[in-house]
Amino acid sequence: MSRLPPRLGTGAAALAVLGALALVPTLARRDDVVNFGFVVLLSIALAQSWNIIGGYAGQVNLGHAAFFGTGALVTRALWTAGTNVLAAMLAGAGVAVIFGLLLGIPAFRLRGAYFAIGTLVLAEILRITIGNVFPEISTLPTATIARYRLADRYYLALALAAAATLAVALLARSRAGLGMRAVREDEEAAEASGVGALRLKLTALALSTALAGLAGGLFAYYHISYYPQHPFAPSWTFDALLITYIGGVGTLRGPVLGAIFYTFLKEYLAIRWVDFHLLIFGVLFIAIVLAFPGGLVELTDRLWKLRRQRLENGGAG
Amino acid sequence: MSTLAQQLVLGVLIGGLYGLAAAGLSLVFGVLRVLNVAHGELIMLGGYGAFWLFALLGLDPFLSLLLVVPAALLAGALLYWGLFASVVRFPDETRIKNSLLVSFGLALALHVVAVQLWTADERSITTAYGGVFRVAGLALPRVRLMSLAVALGLIGVVHVLLSRWRWGQAIRAAAEDWQAALLVGIDVRRAYLLAFAIGTALAGAAGTLVSVAYSISPSIGLEWTLKALIVVVLAGLGSMMGTFLAGILLGVAEAASAIVFGGPYREVVGLVVILAILVARPQGLFGRS
Amino acid sequence: MLEVRDLAAAHGDLAALSGASLGVRAGEIVALVGPNGAGKSTLLQCITGLVRPRAGEIVSEGRDLLALRPHQIVDHGVALVPEGRRLFGQMSVEENLALGAFGPRARREREASLERVYRLFPVLAERRRQMSRTLSGGQQQMVAIGRALMTAPRLLMLDEPSLGLAPRVVGSIFEALEVINRAGVSVLLVEQNVRAALELAGRAYVLEGGRVVGEGTGSDLLADPHVRRAYLGPLAIR
Repeated sequence: MSRLPPRLGTGAAALAVLGALALVPTLARRDDVVNFGFVVLLSIALAQSWNIIGGYAGQVNLGHAAFFGTGALVTRALWTAGTNVLAAMLAGAGVAVIFGLLLGIPAFRLRGAYFAIGTLVLAEILRITIGNVFPEISTLPTATIARYRLADRYYLALALAAAATLAVALLARSRAGLGMRAVREDEEAAEASGVGALRLKLTALALSTALAGLAGGLFAYYHISYYPQHPFAPSWTFDALLITYIGGVGTLRGPVLGAIFYTFLKEYLAIRWVDFHLLIFGVLFIAIVLAFPGGLVELTDRLWKLRRQRLENGGAG
Repeated sequence: MSTLAQQLVLGVLIGGLYGLAAAGLSLVFGVLRVLNVAHGELIMLGGYGAFWLFALLGLDPFLSLLLVVPAALLAGALLYWGLFASVVRFPDETRIKNSLLVSFGLALALHVVAVQLWTADERSITTAYGGVFRVAGLALPRVRLMSLAVALGLIGVVHVLLSRWRWGQAIRAAAEDWQAALLVGIDVRRAYLLAFAIGTALAGAAGTLVSVAYSISPSIGLEWTLKALIVVVLAGLGSMMGTFLAGILLGVAEAASAIVFGGPYREVVGLVVILAILVARPQGLFGRS
Repeated sequence: MLEVRDLAAAHGDLAALSGASLGVRAGEIVALVGPNGAGKSTLLQCITGLVRPRAGEIVSEGRDLLALRPHQIVDHGVALVPEGRRLFGQMSVEENLALGAFGPRARREREASLERVYRLFPVLAERRRQMSRTLSGGQQQMVAIGRALMTAPRLLMLDEPSLGLAPRVVGSIFEALEVINRAGVSVLLVEQNVRAALELAGRAYVLEGGRVVGEGTGSDLLADPHVRRAYLGPLAIR
């Protein structure tokens, strides 16, 4: 059987996977399976959004939760006021992007670790302010709760995760993506060879915050009640960071593998220890930064190659 | 009493601890170019060390410094040897970024371990000799005053160590130009180890003082890391005394902000200040560019 | 005193070495000249242990320097005055010099070394408490050489000591090197100022493109046509 050209093959595989995932709500008998799927898909979307700015553009953004939270805030406000949820989510993403660009222009004057600290500080300022301005818990009205369909949330999450991954795939191949990676490797050298570093970084930030804002909107659509400052908490940034790095920062499959691994481990370990998964991930993270920057993607690639070698040798021998 | 003067004085008292917390971070960052965001967790661990020495052995927290500081020195040496020695192998630009990431993982791990071992409850040490000094109509909590004095003393000790001690000079030389330091026969790796150990010891001491003068819980890590970072950026690198003063400045600024904008915004002023300085004058108020 | 054999190195921005060999005998002054990017600095940095070569050997008085860490190489008696001087600018002249005597062997001779340095460079004695960053270029170079002398070296290496200095100052620096050498310290001098270097040195090597292309006594090389054309003629760099 002749092999399909690689891109077609990957595309077909991706569609197949999407199709299978789309069947989950109908096939699964238990809500917690669908909930689990939702969490994984939301994590993929959020991680891919961080991957754009942190992985491809190389700017370690520790304030990512600010945009997640903004999306959630705006979406929740509009949706509970009667707006169609998709419009509300788009509005949330729009506000997140504007906010991101406004912050990005001064923030990108900082480099490296200072950018990381600066973004963390900005996000914390926002979180504290939101917590003071909206201290009360936000709960959906009973009528909305009655109409709540988990499957809707799931499909939306699937769409968003797919869109985020597609966005990263397209970005990676584009000229902008190439420029971003040049900036990541050596910003001064890139500037010297005519690459507009600031414009690229802002582009990456815009795309990243848009997706994060959409993810935040999804969060607002999914949860029945939560404190408005919760989606602004730094733990969302840290989760995205951990997932992306452990999966393989700056790769397409990294956030996907990382999110699956992360959520599984979290669920499995939560039975016995609270937050123990974070200990493992903390240690894994250190190991990856120091020794194994390719993460799970590199690991699976190497195993795959090993297996293929062994098959070929077995056939020839 | 919540007069302006009273609040400002309380701000000075906690500011001293901010300065001590920052001193350790500043030393490590200035010498090794390593940004250890697990510094707050080290402070937290120091606090728990003092707390358990008090709870289990009845050891007075100020006396337990005699145990906590050497233990923290050792812990710092082990941490450097086990973890950060690998990080300093990276060239300067990636070193800061990778140290941030690595210490982030460390902070996460330490935080989880602390919650497992000691639960998320707040702890505090209440000594028999509490109470306040009354001076000029102001109430100065005795324990906090003692903490400030100890903090100042420790900063002074480190300042002397860095200027008079042979290895202190080696540390300063390595901070300024590690290659030149190698060329005069300084074992820079050992200088780094010592600097990191001293930085950790300062963190442990700060934690001890926090546990008796205020309170500790596993989640104070991030909070104190941010405070220390703010003070380091405020002060710039290179001066222990400058860092201490900047800490006091932050304490006073927080008190003033709480009075003007209200309690919930106390934390925000420090964050806004660090942002403004990062953008306008990255080398800080006292630092050299 | 020092033997470098077939050294090959490539390190980031630094110029590469592809099989360079040279030797310094005890008591000699040896010059290493060549164009920019020939690898002269790289060679010195390999000897001091700051750069790890890919191949080759560096032996000094029976010890394999490649097996030692930089501070141990200093303790062994090989010191470098780096290009650009690299003083501890925030520290005073005296503090810089004192740090030179950090290693155990150097520490024993500290007082004697300090006296020698002040006798060699009296202007440093006058300004001993001055912050080294505020000194003139020539004075800074004296501090740099003095600091290296404080390590009690048997071999003193210098990377472009005349860079950025006025001719008169260069002259006094080179005179000082002669005095140092007469006191028993071997000298390996990398220099752009080819004429001055060849006049001072007993022997010299020419390094081009990462390998040694010429070797001889100072006066021989001064007379050599290739050297004259490339480094001493009207079209030469200096």
